[in-house]
Amino acid sequence: MTDDLPVLDLRGVKCPANAARALLRLETMEAGERLAILLDPGEPTESVPAALTLEGHRVVATTDCKDHWRLVAEARG
Amino acid sequence: MIYLDHGSTTPLAPEVAEAMARATAVAWGNPSSDHGSGLAAARVLEEARLRVATALRADPAEVVFTSGGTEANNLALKGRLLRGGRPGGRLVVSAIEHPSVMACAAWLEGLGVAVDRLPVDGEGLVDPDDLRRRLRPDTRLVSVGHGNHEIGTVQPLAELARVCAEAGVPFHTDACQSFTREPLPAPPDLPDLVSVNAHKIHGPKGAGALRVRRGLALEPLMHGGPQEGGLRPGTQNVPALAGFGVAVSLADPAEYQRQAALRDRLLERLLSIRGAHLHGSRTRRLCHHLSLRFDGVSGRALAAALDRAGVRVSRGSACSSGTTAPSPVLLALGIPPAEALGAVRITLGRGTTEAEVDQAGAIIDQAVATLRRTP
Repeated sequence: MTDDLPVLDLRGVKCPANAARALLRLETMEAGERLAILLDPGEPTESVPAALTLEGHRVVATTDCKDHWRLVAEARG
Repeated sequence: MIYLDHGSTTPLAPEVAEAMARATAVAWGNPSSDHGSGLAAARVLEEARLRVATALRADPAEVVFTSGGTEANNLALKGRLLRGGRPGGRLVVSAIEHPSVMACAAWLEGLGVAVDRLPVDGEGLVDPDDLRRRLRPDTRLVSVGHGNHEIGTVQPLAELARVCAEAGVPFHTDACQSFTREPLPAPPDLPDLVSVNAHKIHGPKGAGALRVRRGLALEPLMHGGPQEGGLRPGTQNVPALAGFGVAVSLADPAEYQRQAALRDRLLERLLSIRGAHLHGSRTRRLCHHLSLRFDGVSGRALAAALDRAGVRVSRGSACSSGTTAPSPVLLALGIPPAEALGAVRITLGRGTTEAEVDQAGAIIDQAVATLRRTP
């Protein structure tokens, strides 16, 4: 990926700690700023987007990178 | 009462108590539960991890929460030396480590690990060249504490880390006394393993952490669930760790400078007493720490007399203060056993004032004079 977004690598981090860390990071960002989040395949690809959406952030892209997933989230500010 | 034993423990900061009460009320869920209550607890836990990681100059993924410094030291030493379930190889520790390191080393020695106890100079400093000469191909770990618990000497951590890195030997430091008071070296000179705890910095008892460099394999002390990367299974103590995170965020370099100035003021006063001796380095010492002895005065008698006069100090490490033997740390400095029994440790904190320091100086002077007159 070459979109120059800041990256939060949460591979290897279990649920729900991965969602917690993503939320903490997004809360430091301005409204509309975007963050790329790397996740393990499986459960995190469902629970992390759900937790972000519930808190008012937007998930604008989800990409299967084979050994992991890349999610782009937009901070609610 | 004048409390000058912050090296043993510190009172809880009000902000920490508030954060712990809040976490107890709203983050009572299991931080491993994948539902809203779990996420609420996980947010508090991960915020604490982020704060501790920042102070450690580490990545949050490298922070393993423990019950305190003793557990962190045990995990570092046993985790390295028992790796693969087979004790062996060589462990290098300085001769002035905390009992939780020394006792671990002795236990490992009983299992067949070769333990090399590194001497220190008269100020308690480890010589990096001496360490270099002692490293062997089978050395599995070097452990040298950052700021010494008994004498306050601060080691040249970056230099020692470089010696270990050149030899490819993992390096551990017990930073419980120095954490937030003395800066840790930035990576790549940050030790691979760093033990810290909360209650020395106005946080709660029962909370600590070990920084484990990414990729460094350790054997867990306990076996169970996947919490803390599998290195420390069991549901985390979220309120205590929330308090730890807040305690870390309260650390203030200006406050530590203030304490250093008070320490120097008190030192000057105490060294004006005839037959007073400072232990450790005069210049490379923790900002809140003094260790002294007064000729002809027993440390036990002086600490007891000061307690009766309303000044709380300790004879050495709280973890060894029940013993009657001279401190191994002071003996390692070359202090004769009879004189080593005279040591008292005076450690300042956030609440210590200039008036208290001046009053304590006068009370100590008087107590020393009284004890010298007592047959």
